[in-house]
Amino acid sequence: MTALVWAELRRLAATRLPMWGALAATGSGGFVGLLALIGPENFDPPMPGLETDASVRVLLGLLGLCAFVPALLGTTAVASEYRHRTITTTALFAPRRWTALAAKLAAYTIAGLAYGLIAVTVAGAALFGAAAVKGVTLGLPAATVLALLARIAVTMAVYTLVGVAVGALIPNQVAAAAVLGAYFYMIETALLLIPGVKELYPYLPGGATAALTGFTFLTEALAEQTGGGAASLLSAPLGAAVLVGYALAAAVIAVVAPLRRDIT
Amino acid sequence: MIRMKTRGGVPAARSWDIEVRGLTKTFGTVEAVADLGFTVAPGTVTAFLGPNGSGKTTTMRMLLGLVTPTSGHATIGGLRYAELPRPAATVGAVLDTSGFHPDHTARDHLGVYARLGGFAPSRVREVMDLVGVTPFAGRRTRALSTGMRRRLHLATALLGDPRVLLLDEPGNGLDPEGIAWLRRFLRELAAEGRTILVSSHVLSEVEQMAEHAVMIRGGRLVAAGAVTDLYGEAAVRVRSPQAGPLTAALLAAHPGAVRVETVEPDTLRVHGLSTAAIAAEATARGVPLHEITPERPTLEHAFLQLTGNNQGDTR
Repeated sequence: MTALVWAELRRLAATRLPMWGALAATGSGGFVGLLALIGPENFDPPMPGLETDASVRVLLGLLGLCAFVPALLGTTAVASEYRHRTITTTALFAPRRWTALAAKLAAYTIAGLAYGLIAVTVAGAALFGAAAVKGVTLGLPAATVLALLARIAVTMAVYTLVGVAVGALIPNQVAAAAVLGAYFYMIETALLLIPGVKELYPYLPGGATAALTGFTFLTEALAEQTGGGAASLLSAPLGAAVLVGYALAAAVIAVVAPLRRDIT
Repeated sequence: MIRMKTRGGVPAARSWDIEVRGLTKTFGTVEAVADLGFTVAPGTVTAFLGPNGSGKTTTMRMLLGLVTPTSGHATIGGLRYAELPRPAATVGAVLDTSGFHPDHTARDHLGVYARLGGFAPSRVREVMDLVGVTPFAGRRTRALSTGMRRRLHLATALLGDPRVLLLDEPGNGLDPEGIAWLRRFLRELAAEGRTILVSSHVLSEVEQMAEHAVMIRGGRLVAAGAVTDLYGEAAVRVRSPQAGPLTAALLAAHPGAVRVETVEPDTLRVHGLSTAAIAAEATARGVPLHEITPERPTLEHAFLQLTGNNQGDTR
Protein backbone atom coordinates (compact mmCIF):
# COMPACT_ATOMS: atom_id res chain seq x y z
CA MET A 1 0.00 0.00 0.00
CA THR A 2 2.89 2.36 0.76
CA ALA A 3 4.13 1.90 -2.82
CA LEU A 4 0.68 2.82 -4.12
CA VAL A 5 0.52 5.96 -1.99
CA TRP A 6 3.98 7.00 -3.19
CA ALA A 7 2.92 6.32 -6.76
CA GLU A 8 -0.12 8.56 -6.34
CA LEU A 9 1.99 11.30 -4.77
CA ARG A 10 4.45 11.02 -7.64
CA ARG A 11 1.60 11.11 -10.16
CA LEU A 12 0.27 14.27 -8.52
CA ALA A 13 3.68 15.91 -8.13
CA ALA A 14 4.44 15.51 -11.84
CA THR A 15 1.36 17.52 -12.85
CA ARG A 16 0.74 21.24 -12.61
CA LEU A 17 -1.95 20.76 -9.98
CA PRO A 18 0.42 21.25 -7.00
CA MET A 19 1.54 24.56 -8.49
CA TRP A 20 -2.04 25.74 -8.98
CA GLY A 21 -2.97 24.37 -5.56
CA ALA A 22 -0.12 26.24 -3.87
CA LEU A 23 -1.14 29.41 -5.69
CA ALA A 24 -4.79 28.97 -4.71
CA ALA A 25 -3.85 28.26 -1.08
CA THR A 26 -1.58 31.28 -0.95
CA GLY A 27 -4.33 33.33 -2.61
CA SER A 28 -6.95 32.21 -0.06
CA GLY A 29 -4.66 33.05 2.83
CA GLY A 30 -3.57 36.27 1.17
CA PHE A 31 -7.21 37.30 0.62
CA VAL A 32 -7.86 37.06 4.35
CA GLY A 33 -4.65 38.99 4.97
CA LEU A 34 -5.72 41.68 2.52
CA LEU A 35 -9.09 42.03 4.27
CA ALA A 36 -7.30 42.27 7.63
CA LEU A 37 -4.97 44.92 6.27
CA ILE A 38 -7.87 46.94 4.84
CA GLY A 39 -9.50 46.55 8.25
CA PRO A 40 -13.07 45.33 8.93
CA GLU A 41 -13.85 48.85 10.18
CA ASN A 42 -13.46 50.04 6.59
CA PHE A 43 -15.86 47.41 5.14
CA ASP A 44 -19.23 48.46 3.78
CA PRO A 45 -21.15 48.17 6.06
CA PRO A 46 -18.39 48.75 8.65
CA MET A 47 -17.60 45.98 11.11
CA PRO A 48 -15.78 46.08 14.41
CA GLY A 49 -11.99 46.24 14.07
CA LEU A 50 -9.42 43.46 14.36
CA GLU A 51 -9.24 44.02 18.09
CA THR A 52 -12.66 42.37 18.47
CA ASP A 53 -13.41 38.67 18.79
CA ALA A 54 -16.23 38.82 16.18
CA SER A 55 -14.12 40.39 13.46
CA VAL A 56 -11.29 37.85 13.78
CA ARG A 57 -13.84 35.01 13.66
CA VAL A 58 -15.43 36.48 10.51
CA LEU A 59 -12.05 36.68 8.76
CA LEU A 60 -11.15 33.11 9.73
CA GLY A 61 -14.65 31.98 8.73
CA LEU A 62 -14.11 33.47 5.28
CA LEU A 63 -10.94 31.39 5.00
CA GLY A 64 -13.02 28.34 5.96
CA LEU A 65 -15.42 29.17 3.12
CA CYS A 66 -12.50 28.74 0.72
CA ALA A 67 -12.30 25.03 1.64
CA PHE A 68 -14.30 24.13 -1.45
CA VAL A 69 -11.24 25.01 -3.56
CA PRO A 70 -9.14 22.00 -2.41
CA ALA A 71 -12.30 19.88 -2.80
CA LEU A 72 -12.43 20.98 -6.42
CA LEU A 73 -8.75 20.17 -6.84
CA GLY A 74 -9.34 16.68 -5.38
CA THR A 75 -12.25 16.13 -7.76
CA THR A 76 -10.21 17.33 -10.73
CA ALA A 77 -7.29 15.08 -9.87
CA VAL A 78 -9.35 11.89 -9.64
CA ALA A 79 -11.73 12.61 -12.51
CA SER A 80 -8.71 13.38 -14.72
CA GLU A 81 -7.82 9.67 -14.46
CA TYR A 82 -10.98 8.96 -16.42
CA ARG A 83 -10.61 11.98 -18.70
CA HIS A 84 -7.08 11.08 -19.75
CA ARG A 85 -7.87 7.33 -19.60
CA THR A 86 -4.94 6.65 -17.29
CA ILE A 87 -7.49 4.71 -15.22
CA THR A 88 -6.98 1.74 -17.57
CA THR A 89 -3.27 1.42 -16.82
CA THR A 90 -3.85 2.16 -13.14
CA ALA A 91 -6.42 -0.66 -12.97
CA LEU A 92 -3.97 -3.01 -14.68
CA PHE A 93 -1.22 -2.23 -12.19
CA ALA A 94 -3.59 -2.30 -9.20
CA PRO A 95 -6.42 -4.65 -10.27
CA ARG A 96 -7.82 -4.78 -6.75
CA ARG A 97 -9.30 -1.38 -7.38
CA TRP A 98 -10.04 -0.53 -3.79
CA THR A 99 -6.29 -0.47 -3.11
CA ALA A 100 -5.69 2.18 -5.79
CA LEU A 101 -8.56 4.29 -4.51
CA ALA A 102 -7.45 3.92 -0.91
CA ALA A 103 -3.97 5.04 -1.97
CA LYS A 104 -5.49 8.03 -3.72
CA LEU A 105 -7.43 8.93 -0.58
CA ALA A 106 -4.27 8.76 1.51
CA ALA A 107 -2.24 10.77 -1.02
CA TYR A 108 -4.90 13.44 -1.38
CA THR A 109 -5.40 13.69 2.35
CA ILE A 110 -1.71 14.57 2.55
CA ALA A 111 -2.09 16.99 -0.36
CA GLY A 112 -5.23 18.54 1.17
CA LEU A 113 -3.47 18.98 4.48
CA ALA A 114 -0.53 20.62 2.71
CA TYR A 115 -2.98 22.93 0.97
CA GLY A 116 -4.60 23.78 4.28
CA LEU A 117 -1.26 24.39 5.98
CA ILE A 118 -0.17 26.79 3.25
CA ALA A 119 -3.50 28.63 3.38
CA VAL A 120 -3.60 28.97 7.19
CA THR A 121 0.10 29.83 7.43
CA VAL A 122 -0.33 32.68 4.97
CA ALA A 123 -3.61 33.78 6.59
CA GLY A 124 -2.20 33.56 10.12
CA ALA A 125 0.93 35.48 9.22
CA ALA A 126 -1.17 38.09 7.44
CA LEU A 127 -3.60 38.42 10.37
CA PHE A 128 -0.88 38.89 12.96
CA GLY A 129 1.07 41.10 10.53
CA ALA A 130 -1.94 43.32 9.83
CA ALA A 131 -2.63 43.66 13.56
CA ALA A 132 0.99 44.64 14.12
CA VAL A 133 0.88 47.15 11.26
CA LYS A 134 -2.29 48.66 12.68
CA GLY A 135 -0.83 48.61 16.20
CA VAL A 136 -3.71 46.60 17.65
CA THR A 137 -3.94 43.25 19.41
CA LEU A 138 -6.13 40.62 17.75
CA GLY A 139 -9.51 40.21 19.44
CA LEU A 140 -8.84 36.53 20.11
CA PRO A 141 -5.92 35.08 22.07
CA ALA A 142 -3.08 33.86 19.82
CA ALA A 143 -3.61 30.28 21.01
CA THR A 144 -7.29 30.41 20.00
CA VAL A 145 -6.39 31.88 16.59
CA LEU A 146 -3.82 29.13 16.04
CA ALA A 147 -6.31 26.45 17.11
CA LEU A 148 -8.92 27.82 14.70
CA LEU A 149 -6.32 27.93 11.92
CA ALA A 150 -5.41 24.29 12.62
CA ARG A 151 -9.09 23.32 12.47
CA ILE A 152 -9.42 25.08 9.11
CA ALA A 153 -6.36 23.22 7.76
CA VAL A 154 -7.87 19.89 8.79
CA THR A 155 -11.23 20.93 7.33
CA MET A 156 -9.50 21.60 4.02
CA ALA A 157 -8.02 18.08 4.08
CA VAL A 158 -11.50 16.65 4.78
CA TYR A 159 -12.97 18.67 1.91
CA THR A 160 -10.23 17.35 -0.37
CA LEU A 161 -11.35 13.82 0.57
CA VAL A 162 -14.95 14.72 -0.25
CA GLY A 163 -13.69 16.06 -3.58
CA VAL A 164 -11.85 12.80 -4.30
CA ALA A 165 -15.05 10.84 -3.57
CA VAL A 166 -17.08 13.04 -5.94
CA GLY A 167 -14.41 12.54 -8.61
CA ALA A 168 -14.55 8.76 -8.13
CA LEU A 169 -18.35 8.79 -8.23
CA ILE A 170 -18.74 11.04 -11.28
CA PRO A 171 -16.01 10.11 -13.78
CA ASN A 172 -16.81 13.04 -16.06
CA GLN A 173 -14.34 15.68 -14.92
CA VAL A 174 -16.38 18.72 -15.94
CA ALA A 175 -19.63 17.32 -14.52
CA ALA A 176 -17.93 16.37 -11.25
CA ALA A 177 -16.37 19.82 -10.81
CA ALA A 178 -19.67 21.51 -11.74
CA VAL A 179 -21.66 19.44 -9.22
CA LEU A 180 -19.18 20.12 -6.44
CA GLY A 181 -18.83 23.83 -7.23
CA ALA A 182 -22.59 24.31 -7.52
CA TYR A 183 -23.16 22.55 -4.20
CA PHE A 184 -20.67 24.54 -2.17
CA TYR A 185 -21.17 27.82 -3.97
CA MET A 186 -24.95 27.89 -4.35
CA ILE A 187 -27.00 24.95 -3.13
CA GLU A 188 -25.79 24.81 0.46
CA THR A 189 -26.29 28.53 0.98
CA ALA A 190 -29.63 28.46 -0.83
CA LEU A 191 -30.84 25.73 1.56
CA LEU A 192 -30.44 28.23 4.38
CA LEU A 193 -33.23 30.28 2.82
CA ILE A 194 -35.77 27.45 2.88
CA PRO A 195 -37.77 27.26 6.12
CA GLY A 196 -37.59 23.79 7.63
CA VAL A 197 -34.76 22.67 5.38
CA LYS A 198 -32.40 25.14 7.02
CA GLU A 199 -32.58 23.02 10.15
CA LEU A 200 -30.46 20.54 8.18
CA TYR A 201 -27.76 23.12 7.57
CA PRO A 202 -25.76 22.41 10.76
CA TYR A 203 -25.32 18.83 9.52
CA LEU A 204 -24.19 19.82 6.03
CA PRO A 205 -20.44 20.18 5.35
CA GLY A 206 -20.68 23.99 5.38
CA GLY A 207 -22.63 24.04 8.62
CA ALA A 208 -20.25 21.60 10.30
CA THR A 209 -17.30 23.69 9.15
CA ALA A 210 -18.94 26.85 10.49
CA ALA A 211 -19.44 25.09 13.83
CA LEU A 212 -15.81 24.04 13.90
CA THR A 213 -14.55 27.53 13.20
CA GLY A 214 -17.26 29.35 15.18
CA PHE A 215 -18.27 31.21 12.00
CA THR A 216 -21.89 32.30 12.46
CA PHE A 217 -21.70 35.34 10.19
CA LEU A 218 -23.33 33.64 7.19
CA THR A 219 -26.31 32.19 9.07
CA GLU A 220 -26.88 35.41 10.97
CA ALA A 221 -26.64 37.60 7.86
CA LEU A 222 -29.14 35.39 5.99
CA ALA A 223 -31.46 35.31 9.00
CA GLU A 224 -31.33 39.10 9.15
CA GLN A 225 -32.18 39.42 5.46
CA THR A 226 -35.01 36.87 5.50
CA GLY A 227 -36.39 37.97 8.86
CA GLY A 228 -36.32 34.38 10.22
CA GLY A 229 -34.23 32.95 13.01
CA ALA A 230 -30.63 31.96 12.35
CA ALA A 231 -29.96 28.24 11.97
CA SER A 232 -28.27 27.18 15.17
CA LEU A 233 -24.90 25.55 14.59
CA LEU A 234 -23.62 22.44 16.33
CA SER A 235 -20.95 22.62 19.00
CA ALA A 236 -17.37 22.57 17.68
CA PRO A 237 -16.74 18.90 18.70
CA LEU A 238 -20.03 17.82 17.09
CA GLY A 239 -19.17 19.81 13.97
CA ALA A 240 -15.82 18.01 13.86
CA ALA A 241 -17.60 14.66 14.29
CA VAL A 242 -19.96 15.47 11.41
CA LEU A 243 -17.00 16.42 9.20
CA VAL A 244 -15.20 13.20 10.10
CA GLY A 245 -18.42 11.37 9.19
CA TYR A 246 -18.39 13.05 5.79
CA ALA A 247 -14.73 12.08 5.35
CA LEU A 248 -15.51 8.43 6.16
CA ALA A 249 -18.57 8.39 3.89
CA ALA A 250 -16.49 9.96 1.12
CA ALA A 251 -13.78 7.34 1.61
CA VAL A 252 -16.28 4.49 1.41
CA ILE A 253 -17.94 5.97 -1.69
CA ALA A 254 -14.57 6.56 -3.36
CA VAL A 255 -13.48 2.99 -2.73
CA VAL A 256 -16.75 1.17 -3.45
CA ALA A 257 -18.17 3.19 -6.38
CA PRO A 258 -15.64 2.16 -9.07
CA LEU A 259 -15.37 -1.49 -7.98
CA ARG A 260 -17.87 -2.99 -10.41
CA ARG A 261 -17.64 -0.34 -13.09
CA ASP A 262 -16.49 -1.59 -16.48
CA ILE A 263 -13.48 0.27 -17.84
CA THR A 264 -14.18 0.29 -21.56
CA MET B 1 17.74 -11.34 -27.90
CA ILE B 2 15.80 -9.53 -25.19
CA ARG B 3 17.30 -10.17 -21.81
CA MET B 4 15.21 -11.88 -19.22
CA LYS B 5 15.14 -10.56 -15.71
CA THR B 6 14.49 -12.29 -12.44
CA ARG B 7 10.86 -13.18 -12.29
CA GLY B 8 10.10 -11.05 -9.27
CA GLY B 9 8.16 -13.65 -7.32
CA VAL B 10 6.09 -14.85 -10.27
CA PRO B 11 6.08 -18.67 -10.40
CA ALA B 12 8.08 -19.64 -13.51
CA ALA B 13 6.84 -23.24 -13.51
CA ARG B 14 3.24 -22.30 -14.29
CA SER B 15 2.21 -22.55 -17.95
CA TRP B 16 1.07 -19.09 -18.92
CA ASP B 17 -1.69 -20.11 -21.31
CA ILE B 18 -4.46 -17.68 -22.06
CA GLU B 19 -7.76 -19.51 -21.89
CA VAL B 20 -11.16 -18.18 -22.87
CA ARG B 21 -14.21 -20.40 -22.36
CA GLY B 22 -17.87 -19.60 -23.05
CA LEU B 23 -17.10 -15.90 -22.77
CA THR B 24 -20.08 -13.63 -23.31
CA LYS B 25 -20.49 -9.90 -22.76
CA THR B 26 -23.66 -7.96 -23.30
CA PHE B 27 -23.83 -4.16 -23.19
CA GLY B 28 -27.54 -3.36 -22.88
CA THR B 29 -29.09 -5.16 -25.82
CA VAL B 30 -25.84 -5.44 -27.75
CA GLU B 31 -24.02 -8.75 -27.55
CA ALA B 32 -20.39 -7.72 -27.98
CA VAL B 33 -18.92 -11.18 -27.36
CA ALA B 34 -20.88 -14.41 -27.65
CA ASP B 35 -19.84 -17.78 -26.23
CA LEU B 36 -16.25 -17.25 -27.29
CA GLY B 37 -13.64 -19.89 -26.62
CA PHE B 38 -9.98 -20.26 -27.53
CA THR B 39 -6.57 -20.98 -26.03
CA VAL B 40 -3.30 -19.14 -26.61
CA ALA B 41 -0.12 -21.07 -25.89
CA PRO B 42 3.23 -19.66 -24.75
CA GLY B 43 6.22 -19.38 -27.07
CA THR B 44 4.44 -18.00 -30.10
CA VAL B 45 2.84 -14.82 -31.31
CA THR B 46 -0.89 -15.38 -31.74
CA ALA B 47 -2.89 -12.96 -33.86
CA PHE B 48 -6.35 -12.03 -32.64
CA LEU B 49 -8.14 -11.02 -35.80
CA GLY B 50 -11.46 -9.55 -36.70
CA PRO B 51 -13.04 -6.47 -38.23
CA ASN B 52 -13.54 -3.30 -36.20
CA GLY B 53 -16.30 -3.86 -33.66
CA SER B 54 -15.96 -7.63 -33.71
CA GLY B 55 -15.30 -7.86 -29.95
CA LYS B 56 -11.50 -8.09 -29.84
CA THR B 57 -11.00 -5.18 -27.45
CA THR B 58 -13.87 -6.25 -25.19
CA THR B 59 -12.40 -9.77 -25.02
CA MET B 60 -8.98 -8.40 -24.11
CA ARG B 61 -10.48 -6.13 -21.46
CA MET B 62 -12.33 -9.10 -19.97
CA LEU B 63 -9.04 -11.04 -19.88
CA LEU B 64 -7.53 -8.12 -17.98
CA GLY B 65 -10.40 -7.74 -15.50
CA LEU B 66 -11.34 -4.31 -16.80
CA VAL B 67 -14.71 -5.49 -18.07
CA THR B 68 -16.80 -8.02 -16.16
CA PRO B 69 -18.06 -10.89 -18.38
CA THR B 70 -21.79 -11.52 -18.49
CA SER B 71 -20.92 -15.22 -18.44
CA GLY B 72 -18.00 -17.54 -19.09
CA HIS B 73 -14.44 -17.05 -18.01
CA ALA B 74 -11.14 -15.68 -19.25
CA THR B 75 -7.98 -16.74 -17.44
CA ILE B 76 -4.22 -16.38 -17.68
CA GLY B 77 -2.23 -19.27 -16.29
CA GLY B 78 -5.50 -20.65 -14.94
CA LEU B 79 -6.22 -17.56 -12.86
CA ARG B 80 -8.36 -14.50 -13.37
CA TYR B 81 -6.23 -11.38 -13.83
CA ALA B 82 -7.04 -9.96 -10.40
CA GLU B 83 -6.10 -13.29 -8.79
CA LEU B 84 -2.57 -13.29 -10.24
CA PRO B 85 0.09 -12.95 -7.53
CA ARG B 86 1.73 -9.91 -9.17
CA PRO B 87 -0.47 -9.02 -12.13
CA ALA B 88 1.72 -6.30 -13.68
CA ALA B 89 4.78 -8.56 -13.35
CA THR B 90 2.92 -11.36 -15.12
CA VAL B 91 0.90 -9.65 -17.82
CA GLY B 92 1.76 -6.55 -19.84
CA ALA B 93 -0.97 -4.91 -21.87
CA VAL B 94 -1.25 -2.17 -24.46
CA LEU B 95 -4.85 -1.14 -24.99
CA ASP B 96 -5.13 2.55 -25.89
CA THR B 97 -3.25 5.20 -27.77
CA SER B 98 -4.44 7.62 -25.08
CA GLY B 99 -3.87 6.95 -21.40
CA PHE B 100 -1.29 9.55 -20.46
CA HIS B 101 -1.59 12.61 -18.25
CA PRO B 102 -0.70 15.48 -20.59
CA ASP B 103 1.46 17.17 -17.94
CA HIS B 104 3.59 14.06 -17.43
CA THR B 105 6.78 13.45 -19.34
CA ALA B 106 7.36 9.97 -20.73
CA ARG B 107 9.80 9.39 -17.84
CA ASP B 108 7.24 10.61 -15.26
CA HIS B 109 4.63 8.24 -16.70
CA LEU B 110 6.93 5.23 -16.43
CA GLY B 111 8.09 6.35 -12.98
CA VAL B 112 4.52 6.44 -11.66
CA TYR B 113 3.72 2.95 -12.92
CA ALA B 114 7.07 1.52 -11.81
CA ARG B 115 6.13 2.71 -8.31
CA LEU B 116 2.58 1.41 -8.64
CA GLY B 117 3.82 -2.01 -9.76
CA GLY B 118 6.55 -2.11 -7.11
CA PHE B 119 9.37 -2.29 -9.67
CA ALA B 120 12.88 -0.91 -9.19
CA PRO B 121 13.38 2.66 -10.49
CA SER B 122 16.25 1.34 -12.64
CA ARG B 123 13.68 -0.63 -14.62
CA VAL B 124 12.39 2.65 -16.07
CA ARG B 125 15.68 3.33 -17.81
CA GLU B 126 15.91 -0.28 -18.99
CA VAL B 127 12.51 -0.32 -20.71
CA MET B 128 13.09 3.14 -22.15
CA ASP B 129 16.27 1.87 -23.81
CA LEU B 130 14.61 -1.39 -24.81
CA VAL B 131 11.78 0.11 -26.84
CA GLY B 132 13.37 3.40 -27.89
CA VAL B 133 11.67 5.83 -25.51
CA THR B 134 14.93 7.37 -24.25
CA PRO B 135 15.17 10.00 -27.05
CA PHE B 136 11.86 11.55 -25.96
CA ALA B 137 11.93 10.63 -22.26
CA GLY B 138 11.80 14.27 -21.14
CA ARG B 139 9.00 15.31 -23.48
CA ARG B 140 5.51 15.88 -22.11
CA THR B 141 3.10 13.21 -23.31
CA ARG B 142 0.80 15.83 -24.83
CA ALA B 143 3.54 16.48 -27.40
CA LEU B 144 4.16 12.86 -28.37
CA SER B 145 3.32 11.46 -31.80
CA THR B 146 1.12 8.37 -32.08
CA GLY B 147 4.17 6.22 -32.76
CA MET B 148 5.92 7.58 -29.65
CA ARG B 149 2.79 6.92 -27.61
CA ARG B 150 2.74 3.35 -28.87
CA ARG B 151 6.34 2.85 -27.78
CA LEU B 152 5.63 4.43 -24.40
CA HIS B 153 2.64 2.13 -23.88
CA LEU B 154 4.81 -0.85 -24.81
CA ALA B 155 7.50 0.33 -22.38
CA THR B 156 4.83 0.59 -19.65
CA ALA B 157 3.63 -2.93 -20.42
CA LEU B 158 7.19 -4.26 -20.18
CA LEU B 159 7.99 -2.63 -16.83
CA GLY B 160 7.28 -5.88 -15.00
CA ASP B 161 9.13 -8.02 -17.57
CA PRO B 162 5.87 -9.97 -18.01
CA ARG B 163 5.45 -13.57 -19.19
CA VAL B 164 2.28 -12.66 -21.08
CA LEU B 165 1.67 -9.73 -23.43
CA LEU B 166 -1.74 -8.59 -24.67
CA LEU B 167 -1.49 -5.95 -27.35
CA ASP B 168 -4.56 -4.33 -28.88
CA GLU B 169 -3.84 -3.00 -32.36
CA PRO B 170 -0.20 -2.20 -31.50
CA GLY B 171 0.66 -1.29 -35.08
CA ASN B 172 -1.86 1.58 -35.27
CA GLY B 173 0.03 4.80 -35.87
CA LEU B 174 3.40 3.14 -36.44
CA ASP B 175 5.27 3.86 -39.66
CA PRO B 176 6.49 0.89 -41.79
CA GLU B 177 9.86 0.96 -40.01
CA GLY B 178 8.10 0.92 -36.65
CA ILE B 179 5.90 -1.99 -37.67
CA ALA B 180 8.95 -3.96 -38.87
CA TRP B 181 10.66 -3.21 -35.55
CA LEU B 182 7.57 -4.29 -33.59
CA ARG B 183 7.37 -7.52 -35.58
CA ARG B 184 11.00 -8.42 -34.80
CA PHE B 185 10.63 -7.36 -31.19
CA LEU B 186 7.53 -9.46 -30.53
CA ARG B 187 9.04 -12.50 -32.25
CA GLU B 188 12.08 -12.23 -30.00
CA LEU B 189 9.86 -11.98 -26.94
CA ALA B 190 7.88 -15.03 -28.07
CA ALA B 191 11.11 -16.94 -28.71
CA GLU B 192 11.87 -16.47 -25.00
CA GLY B 193 8.76 -18.50 -24.22
CA ARG B 194 6.37 -15.65 -23.56
CA THR B 195 2.69 -15.79 -24.45
CA ILE B 196 1.81 -13.03 -26.88
CA LEU B 197 -1.65 -12.16 -28.17
CA VAL B 198 -1.79 -9.34 -30.71
CA SER B 199 -5.12 -8.05 -31.96
CA SER B 200 -5.51 -6.34 -35.28
CA HIS B 201 -8.04 -5.61 -37.95
CA VAL B 202 -5.20 -5.22 -40.47
CA LEU B 203 -4.50 -8.83 -41.33
CA SER B 204 -1.48 -8.13 -43.52
CA GLU B 205 0.15 -6.34 -40.58
CA VAL B 206 0.25 -9.35 -38.28
CA GLU B 207 0.49 -12.27 -40.66
CA GLN B 208 4.26 -11.93 -40.90
CA MET B 209 4.74 -12.09 -37.14
CA ALA B 210 2.07 -14.54 -35.99
CA GLU B 211 2.33 -18.29 -36.07
CA HIS B 212 -1.15 -18.82 -34.70
CA ALA B 213 -4.36 -16.92 -35.18
CA VAL B 214 -7.76 -16.60 -33.58
CA MET B 215 -10.38 -15.13 -35.91
CA ILE B 216 -13.63 -13.66 -34.66
CA ARG B 217 -16.53 -11.87 -36.23
CA GLY B 218 -19.60 -10.44 -34.52
CA GLY B 219 -18.16 -11.53 -31.18
CA ARG B 220 -18.10 -15.19 -32.22
CA LEU B 221 -15.21 -17.47 -33.05
CA VAL B 222 -14.68 -18.03 -36.76
CA ALA B 223 -11.49 -20.10 -36.64
CA ALA B 224 -8.43 -20.73 -34.53
CA GLY B 225 -5.20 -22.56 -35.19
CA ALA B 226 -1.82 -22.41 -36.86
CA VAL B 227 -1.66 -19.69 -39.50
CA THR B 228 -0.38 -22.19 -42.08
CA ASP B 229 -3.45 -24.35 -41.47
CA LEU B 230 -5.79 -21.37 -41.75
CA TYR B 231 -4.28 -20.25 -45.04
CA GLY B 232 -5.76 -23.26 -46.84
CA GLU B 233 -4.29 -24.64 -50.04
CA ALA B 234 -1.99 -22.57 -52.23
CA ALA B 235 -3.06 -21.75 -55.78
CA VAL B 236 -1.50 -20.76 -59.10
CA ARG B 237 -2.96 -18.08 -61.34
CA VAL B 238 -2.73 -19.02 -65.02
CA ARG B 239 -3.65 -16.85 -68.02
CA SER B 240 -3.93 -18.50 -71.41
CA PRO B 241 -5.92 -17.87 -74.63
CA GLN B 242 -6.75 -21.60 -74.48
CA ALA B 243 -8.00 -21.74 -70.89
CA GLY B 244 -10.68 -24.34 -71.69
CA PRO B 245 -8.35 -26.93 -73.27
CA LEU B 246 -5.79 -26.30 -70.52
CA THR B 247 -8.42 -26.99 -67.83
CA ALA B 248 -9.38 -30.24 -69.52
CA ALA B 249 -5.75 -31.26 -69.88
CA LEU B 250 -4.90 -30.58 -66.20
CA LEU B 251 -7.97 -32.43 -64.91
CA ALA B 252 -7.24 -35.40 -67.20
CA ALA B 253 -3.57 -35.60 -66.24
CA HIS B 254 -4.16 -35.33 -62.47
CA PRO B 255 -7.62 -36.76 -61.76
CA GLY B 256 -8.81 -36.06 -58.23
CA ALA B 257 -5.64 -34.13 -57.31
CA VAL B 258 -6.37 -30.85 -58.98
CA ARG B 259 -9.14 -28.25 -58.79
CA VAL B 260 -9.51 -25.49 -61.35
CA GLU B 261 -11.48 -22.25 -60.87
CA THR B 262 -12.29 -20.06 -63.87
CA VAL B 263 -11.64 -16.50 -62.74
CA GLU B 264 -11.98 -14.84 -66.18
CA PRO B 265 -12.60 -16.46 -69.59
CA ASP B 266 -8.82 -16.52 -70.12
CA THR B 267 -7.72 -16.80 -66.49
CA LEU B 268 -7.70 -19.84 -64.21
CA ARG B 269 -6.86 -20.41 -60.56
CA VAL B 270 -5.37 -23.90 -60.23
CA HIS B 271 -5.29 -25.63 -56.83
CA GLY B 272 -3.18 -28.68 -56.09
CA LEU B 273 -0.42 -28.28 -58.68
CA SER B 274 2.89 -26.42 -58.68
CA THR B 275 3.80 -23.83 -61.32
CA ALA B 276 6.33 -26.30 -62.75
CA ALA B 277 3.74 -29.06 -63.13
CA ILE B 278 1.26 -26.73 -64.82
CA ALA B 279 3.94 -25.34 -67.17
CA ALA B 280 5.07 -28.88 -68.10
CA GLU B 281 1.51 -29.94 -68.87
CA ALA B 282 0.87 -26.83 -70.98
CA THR B 283 4.12 -27.34 -72.91
CA ALA B 284 3.30 -30.99 -73.52
CA ARG B 285 -0.16 -30.05 -74.91
CA GLY B 286 1.16 -27.06 -76.88
CA VAL B 287 -1.02 -24.63 -74.93
CA PRO B 288 0.43 -21.09 -74.88
CA LEU B 289 0.69 -19.41 -71.46
CA HIS B 290 0.59 -15.61 -71.03
CA GLU B 291 1.00 -15.65 -67.27
CA ILE B 292 1.71 -18.21 -64.56
CA THR B 293 1.93 -16.81 -61.03
CA PRO B 294 1.94 -18.62 -57.69
CA GLU B 295 -0.61 -16.97 -55.41
CA ARG B 296 0.76 -16.60 -51.90
CA PRO B 297 -1.98 -17.49 -49.44
CA THR B 298 -2.92 -14.61 -47.14
CA LEU B 299 -4.79 -14.36 -43.88
CA GLU B 300 -7.11 -11.95 -45.60
CA HIS B 301 -8.04 -14.59 -48.15
CA ALA B 302 -8.39 -17.18 -45.41
CA PHE B 303 -10.52 -14.86 -43.29
CA LEU B 304 -12.84 -13.94 -46.13
CA GLN B 305 -13.18 -17.58 -47.11
CA LEU B 306 -13.91 -18.63 -43.54
CA THR B 307 -16.47 -15.91 -42.95
CA GLY B 308 -17.86 -16.14 -46.47
CA ASN B 309 -18.00 -12.36 -46.52
CA ASN B 310 -16.12 -10.12 -48.88
CA GLN B 311 -17.69 -6.91 -47.64
CA GLY B 312 -15.95 -6.62 -44.26
CA ASP B 313 -13.48 -3.88 -43.51
CA THR B 314 -10.79 -6.41 -42.78
CA ARG B 315 -7.88 -5.69 -45.11
